[in-house]
Amino acid sequence: MAKTETAHLEIGSRAWLPRLDGGTALMAVLIGAMGFYVLYPLALIVINSFNTATIAEPPVYGLKAWKDAFGEAGIWRSLWNSVKIGIVLQVIALPLGIFISWLLARTNILWGNALEFGFWISFFLPGLATTFGWMLLLDPSTGLINSWLRQLPLVSGLNFDIYSFAGIIWVHLVSNGISTKVMLMTPAFRRMDASMEEASRMSGASALTTMMRITVPAMTPVIVVVFLLSVIRIFSSFEIELLLGVPWSFYVYSTKIVDLARQEPPLVNQAAALGSVILIFLAAFIPIQRRLITRRQFTTVTGQFRPKTIDLGSWRYPATALVALVVVLLDVVPLLSVLGGSFMTRFGFFNLPKTWTLEYWKMALNDPRILQGLQNTLIVAVSAGVVGALGFSLIGYVLVRTKLKGRSVLDTICWLPSAIPGVLSGLGLLWMFLGTPVFRPFYGTLFLLVIAQMLGGITLATQILKSNFVQLGKELEESSRMSGAGFWRTYFRIVFPLMAQTMVLVAVIKFMFAAQHSSAIILLATSETRTLSLLALDQVAAGYREVASITIILVTLLTLGVAVVARSFGLKVGIRAE
Amino acid sequence: MSILRIENLYKSFDRVVAVNRIHLEIAEGEFFTLLGSSGCGKTTTLRMIGGLEKPDGGAIYMGEQCLVAPEKNIFVKPEKRNMGMVFQSYALWPHMTVFENVAYPLKLRGIKGAQAEKKVAEVLALVGLAGLEERPAPALSGGQQQRVALARALVFSPRVLLLDEPLSNLDAQLREEMRRELKSLQRRVHVTVIFVTHDQTEALSLSDRIAIMKFGVLEQVGTPEEVYFTPATPFVRDFLGKTFLLPGRIGALSDDHVRVEVRGVGTSSLTVPRINVISQSNGFPAAGQPALVAIRPEKIALSSNGSGDGNVVEGTLQAVQFLGDRYEYTVTLGEETRVIVSPEAQQLKTGGKIFLELKAEGMTLWPSEG
Repeated sequence: MAKTETAHLEIGSRAWLPRLDGGTALMAVLIGAMGFYVLYPLALIVINSFNTATIAEPPVYGLKAWKDAFGEAGIWRSLWNSVKIGIVLQVIALPLGIFISWLLARTNILWGNALEFGFWISFFLPGLATTFGWMLLLDPSTGLINSWLRQLPLVSGLNFDIYSFAGIIWVHLVSNGISTKVMLMTPAFRRMDASMEEASRMSGASALTTMMRITVPAMTPVIVVVFLLSVIRIFSSFEIELLLGVPWSFYVYSTKIVDLARQEPPLVNQAAALGSVILIFLAAFIPIQRRLITRRQFTTVTGQFRPKTIDLGSWRYPATALVALVVVLLDVVPLLSVLGGSFMTRFGFFNLPKTWTLEYWKMALNDPRILQGLQNTLIVAVSAGVVGALGFSLIGYVLVRTKLKGRSVLDTICWLPSAIPGVLSGLGLLWMFLGTPVFRPFYGTLFLLVIAQMLGGITLATQILKSNFVQLGKELEESSRMSGAGFWRTYFRIVFPLMAQTMVLVAVIKFMFAAQHSSAIILLATSETRTLSLLALDQVAAGYREVASITIILVTLLTLGVAVVARSFGLKVGIRAE
Repeated sequence: MSILRIENLYKSFDRVVAVNRIHLEIAEGEFFTLLGSSGCGKTTTLRMIGGLEKPDGGAIYMGEQCLVAPEKNIFVKPEKRNMGMVFQSYALWPHMTVFENVAYPLKLRGIKGAQAEKKVAEVLALVGLAGLEERPAPALSGGQQQRVALARALVFSPRVLLLDEPLSNLDAQLREEMRRELKSLQRRVHVTVIFVTHDQTEALSLSDRIAIMKFGVLEQVGTPEEVYFTPATPFVRDFLGKTFLLPGRIGALSDDHVRVEVRGVGTSSLTVPRINVISQSNGFPAAGQPALVAIRPEKIALSSNGSGDGNVVEGTLQAVQFLGDRYEYTVTLGEETRVIVSPEAQQLKTGGKIFLELKAEGMTLWPSEG
């Protein structure tokens, strides 16, 4: 009897078609849906780069778009500019980030936790706020710092121009360039077993030698992960270059795509050709990145947690001052500057008869465009948050808890969006919605923006959910199954309530992404569906600086405010060393 | 000649006193153990010796050199102390091979090339890991990692070797094996070892001398036999091995013996040799004072009848277990239940009465606590 059963099972497992059961069907649905959502728009970009007709017209295939695009020097230059910014930025930001993380986590620097919080703030501070704050300070003619410099003796010839390559690098550094690294690396540095450093000291190495030879090399896996995440973001960067590069015709690849797609007549096919180049690069790069990141790294964490730090001696105060200065440049300066911009009659003019005013706030709060933008932002961000948390929790659960085939495919699809620049997914969705007759009515609705913004933060959301599912004791679910509940009942009655807190956090993260970022939706929004961040970009471009400050403050409140509230509920973002 | 001298050492963490004014002298070549349960200050003491923790008061001298004295603002950094240390987690650097791990202290001392290779090979052979130089450190088993950590701590011939619970992460069998090797290694290298553990078996079997710590204070310092057979404090007595405690009252006293009246154990009095009285002030022992008689199970002989002279008491046999080479008798005496080991089978009934002969040399007399 037993023998026949075995034989039967063997035949079953060798069968050509997998048995069609609930699990396989669920997996097929998830892969299908996520594949359609993530991959199809990207495929459209590649396909339509060989199309010479514009969107919504019958396709005519040819190589014209590629020839036109790469016959023009501007496209090559924009690609090179992206790479150049990436290299210069990383060369400065990575060592600085490692050094600051080391100071915060491994030494007896003063107010370590408060300073670390400063980097956390900077991470959630919208890039728009940092960029605009520094624009108000470093504008070559009206910038506050520059007008101060003119009044000083000796340095009166000194003038900083933020509309320059150096300006772009500077704003990258103070917006996310340093803070992302510090935020991700500090917890990992802190989890490192202190006895590894102590063993080095006992072997005869000084504190500095220990940092260079032991601490940093032992943290290499984490540093590599952070570096790769940064490298992929080179092509995602958008707002800073739009505000600081486009005014002097300095294009990077993402602003170039938007420029091509928004020309009259739109050169969407050339934009698609340019996008395809990046997709080819990413197709080669993502597998390498994934292998390096997910490969089992040597563990630097031991069970024994001893928060023993290195005594900096007399260097303690200069080190604290250095890190505090960085935090001030990252958070305080841009925020004060944006606030000042909204309350001053003319920003930077302290000697006007009426220096401070509420006029602009009164104007803004009665401005239908700002109110419309606020409403749009809330609808898009809340929808992205709620739908994202519900949908991705199921994906996370399936990835961690089931043994269904196809999990690695699903996992890869969920990894992709972190590497896909927002502008590209926006371009892909534009083709999808304008080019597919069934979808066309959705163009110009907020639904389209929700779809686009939900992609932002998929990777982070699934990673957080996955790690929480791993921590959740498996027995809790197994006992539910043993009590007679099926997969879905267990999911909704046991897993869901237990994961409620994590889901709220995921929803909050997605809300913040959606409220803050504009690159994925800039090609999809119309003047009726503009969100606050898009509105702010338009206001800055049109020169309405005071009103733009107010729009930016609203965006900041929606993201940073929500982040601070979420943190009090335990939101923690970090990388595990294993 | 003492290699290490600790004077009045004091350390507190956030107003919790970790090490409370201890004095110690450790001789050259000695295997010295700090024993105590977790939180007793033993690891903190070791880390202060190594320079990984700064004391709040007192001083540590190595030979004639003062290593640390906060009152005189002296502090020699850990890297200048020339001490080797093995950590509980081994702390091997995961980005280096075995060779690189072990050669690291040599490199910092300017020893390179063939000379370093020779030294590393020697020390790896010493710990039984010859030929594993090129392995990455994380690819080793727990026991091998520990040997590498030991090799790394020994390779530069340190004056003192500090061991912070090095055996606690190994499984029982490996731990026993490493214990033997550690002892023979120390004899061969003749390095002074300061060893921290909470395991009394390790302490008793390895050490030349043991210091037993509790709440940052040294309870007793002595050879393993001294601390085991003549514990100086009730804590040491109860921490090392097992004891039966029989409460009683002091009766007649003679020059050689003290009679202790006991109740509820079948006999009315026990005779304890005078030399086994733990001397205390306050005129102990004097007739009429409450007292405790302590005896270790291995100093008790079992019998089914009450014969035998001297101190025979009555207990209850709870259970018998046969373990091949021995029998374990679970016996309740007075209010305490302990296991008595005997190689011989006894014709005894579980739940029945059992007679216990307390050997005079194994009894100690203590003033009643509390």
